[in-house]
Amino acid sequence: MRNAYLILALFFTFLAVVFSFLPLDTIAFLPIGIAFSFSLLLLKKSIQSQKKLPKTLLFICGIITLFVVGKTVFVKDEIVEDTKFEKEKVEIKKEAQKELEEIENDLE
Amino acid sequence: MARLHYYLNIFIFLLVSTSVNGQLIKSGEKLVFAGSYNMSGLMTQLAQVTLSTENVTTAKNTYLHLSCELSTYSKWDSFFKIRDIYESYVNPQTLRPSLYKRNIDEGGWTKKEKYVFKGNTVNSTSKRKNSLETQKTFTIGGSTQDVVSLLYKVRTIDLSKLTVGQTQSLMIVFDEKQIPVTLKFMGKETISAGNLGKKECYKLSIGAKTDALKGKDKNLIWLTADQKKIPVLLQFSIPVGTGKLTLTSATGI
Repeated sequence: MRNAYLILALFFTFLAVVFSFLPLDTIAFLPIGIAFSFSLLLLKKSIQSQKKLPKTLLFICGIITLFVVGKTVFVKDEIVEDTKFEKEKVEIKKEAQKELEEIENDLE
Repeated sequence: MARLHYYLNIFIFLLVSTSVNGQLIKSGEKLVFAGSYNMSGLMTQLAQVTLSTENVTTAKNTYLHLSCELSTYSKWDSFFKIRDIYESYVNPQTLRPSLYKRNIDEGGWTKKEKYVFKGNTVNSTSKRKNSLETQKTFTIGGSTQDVVSLLYKVRTIDLSKLTVGQTQSLMIVFDEKQIPVTLKFMGKETISAGNLGKKECYKLSIGAKTDALKGKDKNLIWLTADQKKIPVLLQFSIPVGTGKLTLTSATGI
């Protein structure tokens, strides 16, 4: 049983780390929560000499929780200025103006 | 990617099928929304949607340019960058469209569409990335709008006289075909409206004869219960999930 908890705790901790770096906001709390639960179970099933790893996993969970909370609080949702997109918009508008004139001429 | 693309189309469709006004739509209006999508039970901020209006003049006419832009937030750009533009050029008085254009770029997948309205005929051209351009001509009803102009057309409906449960039927052109859309009045609610503060709003349910929308009365829009009828909140349910658009800023109204 301990081995199963060990594998699951390692897997979800890895997943939690990956999720915390992706722009998934609070969704990262899902693998963090699961990793935390399995790490706690692993800690319970471990004898004194085996407790270092589950404690490390719990520590990692704590750190990434802080990281995700920090990102949620301090990183603003914003749009970056996209010069390529702005240029494209101007071109689309110019093109549309020509097309409108063509429509007007066709309707005459 | 397909899921996001699908969601975004519905997102635009819903947004655009819900605007109102008892007066003419003004040039210079700008509405900014935060778009969120439900991922694994949690709402995640995904993109900014901007609706704006401006006058465009040719040698013979003046048109009202209605634009709907969608851009992913910068944090998403390196993973899945989206830059979509949906726009309509309409008669400023009747809001009848002359030209509708859709330019989408979603994670590198592109599509360009153009609908030219000539009376009751629409000439459409569509070009997807790595595909040949397709052309189609089809007829429409006298009051059919494109999805962008419909948003503004709805804002001209007098909702104050509707009773709860009463419906309004409209027609739109989307994906090179005509689709009927039904608006059902659900009553009034007071909700937060970005920089406008708390506002009493008309709550409407949107129904369309398409597989894109899921559930009964699960696609909802709230419009301020005043003459401007600003879209404030939109909730949608589609086969791949749910999401919402929340008004963050309204200027030039």
